[in-house]
Amino acid sequence: MREQQIVFKNGNEMAALAATHMDFHVMGYFPITPSTGIPEELSAYKADGLHEIVLIPADGEHGAAGICYGAATAGGRVVNATSANGLLYALEQLPVQSGTRVPMILNVVARTVSGPLDIKGDHSDIMFTLNTGWLIFMAKDPQRVYDFNIIATKAAENAEVMLPAIVTSDGFFTSHQKRRNYIFENKSHVKEFIGEYNPKYTTIDPENPVTFGPYMNEPDLINNKVQLSHAMDKAYEVIPKVMEEYGRLTGRYYNVLETYRMEDAEACLFLLNSSFDTATEAVDILRQKGKKVGIVSSNVIRPWPYKEIQKVFKNVKALCVADRQESYGAQAGNMSIEIRATLKDDPENKTLVFSRIYGLGGKEFYVDDAILLLEEAIAVADNNKIGKAFDYIGAYEGNKHYEPKKYVNNVISDYFENGLTVEKDDKQQLIVKGVQTRELTTVPKRIAPGHQACPGCGIFPNLNLFTKGLKGYVVFLFHTGCGMVVTTGYPYTAFRSTYIHNLFQNGAATLSGVVEMFHERKRRGEIPKEVDITFVMVSGDGGMDIGMGPAIGTALRNHNMIIFEYDNGGYMNTGYQLSYTTPHLAESKTSIVGPEFPGKSTFQKHGGRSTFHKDTPMIMAGTNIPYIATVAESHPVDYVKKAAKAQYVAKNEGLAYVKAISACPLNWKSPPEEQRSVINTAVESCYFPLFEIYNGITTITYDPERAKKKMPISKYFSRMGVTKHLLEEENREDLDRIQNEVDRRWERLKARNENPLL
Amino acid sequence: MQKATLPVKNKFGFFEVRLESIGGLGANVAGKILAEAGVMGMGYNGSNFASYGSEKKGTPVSSYVRFCDSDKAVRINSPVTDPHVLGVFHENLVSRLPITAGVGPNATVVINTDKDPHNAREYLRLSGGRVITVDAIKIAYEEKVRMNAIMIGAITRAMDFMDKEAVKEAIRQTLGKKYENQLKANLRGFEAGYEQVSIDSFDEDGRFPFIPFKEAKGEWGYANAPIGGIVVEAGSMILKNNQSSRQGKIPLFHPGKCIHCGLCETTCPDYCFSFEPGMDEKTNKTQMYNKGLDYQYCKGCLRCVDVCPVEALTEELEAEHDIEKLTVKL
Repeated sequence: MREQQIVFKNGNEMAALAATHMDFHVMGYFPITPSTGIPEELSAYKADGLHEIVLIPADGEHGAAGICYGAATAGGRVVNATSANGLLYALEQLPVQSGTRVPMILNVVARTVSGPLDIKGDHSDIMFTLNTGWLIFMAKDPQRVYDFNIIATKAAENAEVMLPAIVTSDGFFTSHQKRRNYIFENKSHVKEFIGEYNPKYTTIDPENPVTFGPYMNEPDLINNKVQLSHAMDKAYEVIPKVMEEYGRLTGRYYNVLETYRMEDAEACLFLLNSSFDTATEAVDILRQKGKKVGIVSSNVIRPWPYKEIQKVFKNVKALCVADRQESYGAQAGNMSIEIRATLKDDPENKTLVFSRIYGLGGKEFYVDDAILLLEEAIAVADNNKIGKAFDYIGAYEGNKHYEPKKYVNNVISDYFENGLTVEKDDKQQLIVKGVQTRELTTVPKRIAPGHQACPGCGIFPNLNLFTKGLKGYVVFLFHTGCGMVVTTGYPYTAFRSTYIHNLFQNGAATLSGVVEMFHERKRRGEIPKEVDITFVMVSGDGGMDIGMGPAIGTALRNHNMIIFEYDNGGYMNTGYQLSYTTPHLAESKTSIVGPEFPGKSTFQKHGGRSTFHKDTPMIMAGTNIPYIATVAESHPVDYVKKAAKAQYVAKNEGLAYVKAISACPLNWKSPPEEQRSVINTAVESCYFPLFEIYNGITTITYDPERAKKKMPISKYFSRMGVTKHLLEEENREDLDRIQNEVDRRWERLKARNENPLL
Repeated sequence: MQKATLPVKNKFGFFEVRLESIGGLGANVAGKILAEAGVMGMGYNGSNFASYGSEKKGTPVSSYVRFCDSDKAVRINSPVTDPHVLGVFHENLVSRLPITAGVGPNATVVINTDKDPHNAREYLRLSGGRVITVDAIKIAYEEKVRMNAIMIGAITRAMDFMDKEAVKEAIRQTLGKKYENQLKANLRGFEAGYEQVSIDSFDEDGRFPFIPFKEAKGEWGYANAPIGGIVVEAGSMILKNNQSSRQGKIPLFHPGKCIHCGLCETTCPDYCFSFEPGMDEKTNKTQMYNKGLDYQYCKGCLRCVDVCPVEALTEELEAEHDIEKLTVKL
């Protein structure tokens, strides 16, 4: 036995502790609820000097999976964490990694797959990984999250296994539930248990040049897959041994299956992860009434424990398999399908199996739900007959008498008139007339009040100013983010116009499809010629990181639409993690100012490099789209003019990209009432200069130098809690470097302003 | 190793606490601290979790704490439906949610209010039970501390078996590291919350019925909802009421001083202002005039006060004004 100590931690914290104790080399990650807590905790532990893992903030989950794959081929230990569509975005990388036999650990904090978007837990994501060739552990509680991360590492790295492994815990139910847990008191005992990792092949060994991932067609590929299949068989032998060895060290013994009161059970329930615990209470209640009931779950679903499954259900009369997802069209969830196939292979088995779907999208699972399912199983056992082979529990019909109400009158025609005119002057530059804040109060709002944003949120003044500049009907597409989450909480919507949501990765492409269909249907006469629509994609909260590829693709195709970015300098809707637009060396939940890294972020200071805040307008300028502009709410007239120009361009010339700097008082740690003046300091300090580029000609639309208001960057940084540390004397050099970069970009902008060829 | 026995337990062996709040008031952290104190400080087994939406201020949050004897395993992962102690961090929550559901005559309700226990019981429409009131907003203002430290004090008072020192230690562990300079203030707030309470008990006298816990259900279900999750009621968000996001301050509009420049309308994140056309007597032209704001949507951010060039909007204490009368409906 090795000494253990008690901690009171949740699943995400336990995953982070396991990684800390194993001291992985590298983590590539991209934040997504509810797994975000893992990189956040690891950032905090790193700031406290508890581990040396290099934490790499990727551009998206696909990029994170790539970083992890690459790092793992280079021979060290790698960890990642993700959930839901993040997992699906990374999915194509998973078979690449298992097929080339590169171990690592991926914590999947299970959550519903969109859409519609739901951030809560179920098993619809993890079931997509069944065919990827990864080992899949299921951790029903925070204790198992820690233990299985360690056990999975040792099993995965076994020379005859050499497969990557997933440890799955339930989003929120486990990831955010604090429990009493035990951990190794001494981290060296963990490292001793997992041992040295020395893969036979690495991508960074000059003495042994090897080719990872050749071009392999038939007849060879099938042999590669036989090897993978055999590795799974080997893992099936290895995992129980590793669990046994771990038990001897810790006193925590695990089996492949998790069972409760199955000795003589006749009617039972199979379900995965956190629901197991709740269901055991139901078993005790029914046992007291003399019912022979029991529960089964599995701690490992790849490799599939077919022998244990056959054995445990040998004498069971009726079994309800409750899945927290459906394989749509199969009239069952995946566990039900697999268990029935497994029992069919046992010619003596006579268990009656039926399927239920429960708890989708984070719907709670109460003891009463488990009693209901067990009582159904008892009835099937008593009657020796299945009534309903498949059903959902917990769904409801709705109020049949409910009549949808109308909160908006007809908004087509000239309802959204703003009185502005846009014309070209003799130099072919766009001139907007009629912009006055007082008169613009006449423009009806396309977004209703009542939305759920934080007090003082900058997104809504930005949307208000931007849409004031637009005439007529607008179709919006919002990327995932604060602006989306707070406006469309079902069954409500704040939009008085058409609204579409798509995930971060793909909004620009999606809207470009809408635009082209609109024009094609108009051309075919299916939509009347006079119907006029402006298409606007709205992104923020890091949407121009993960969605950058499709945004550039959309720009290069030059569709007639607008991309509007509210840049709040971080991934705010998941609680503020570092984005590429976070000010250099600013604090966030994944770039922590800690004792080991005074005044620096955990990534930027150690083990990684980083550039200064992302210059998205210049990236977009490289695509040569007709219109690019920056706007700030501190300059409302300039703002509305640029919105009107963007609409003109979207109608007549192609793509317009407009970027706003958007206040986030909550995460910037800045008083809500001061936000307009904080934004003003960003403009006056030239951190966020106001300019436009129309058909290649750059114009500075507000020049702080000419207005004699230019201020140093420290004036802006002093207004936000997350950048204040940069003003301390010991960080002088860093502040100077940032100032130099801001000055360099400003001087370059002035040069562009003066020279039409730049 | 367990320091004291639990005074009461439900049929699963738990003493249970539910905290009802809105994001930003610290109920989540309060739950963590109480649970940490019980498990790490007093040797109980237990669990703590919360239910909330995305990461923002002002939306409803519930936090749960369960304690059981040290040798018992925690085997329930669903929310607390019938709490022994209910903590209410903001009294306006009562109008928004069925927060007293499952709170029976043997429970204790701790509420942040300036009402006395009798009036608080009437306000909450409790069937019976013990009511502990604490004016956390006032104490927070006087002691210059965050409200949740005060609430933790009052809730600790409601849990007679809790070791005060263990809770203080958990406060040190949780808040001490990050906010070292605020730690003293938080401990002071804890003590004030613990001491400055009013306590009374009420029999189940039939004045109000017991409301059992029920899972929420919407109007739309699988038989009538438009397919694909499509929302057909455009603009329906206007039904929401965001008043509980305010924390004591409001912007007050002084029409006589207003120059109708429209800047407040451009800065207001919650689209509260009403502008209507009227005749400008000097120019004989139609102009837009500021009529005031609709407090149903105002979250009290005070951005409008900050941008107003003529002090036609000022920062005031909400308690000193009749919001209903001031409101100009949108």
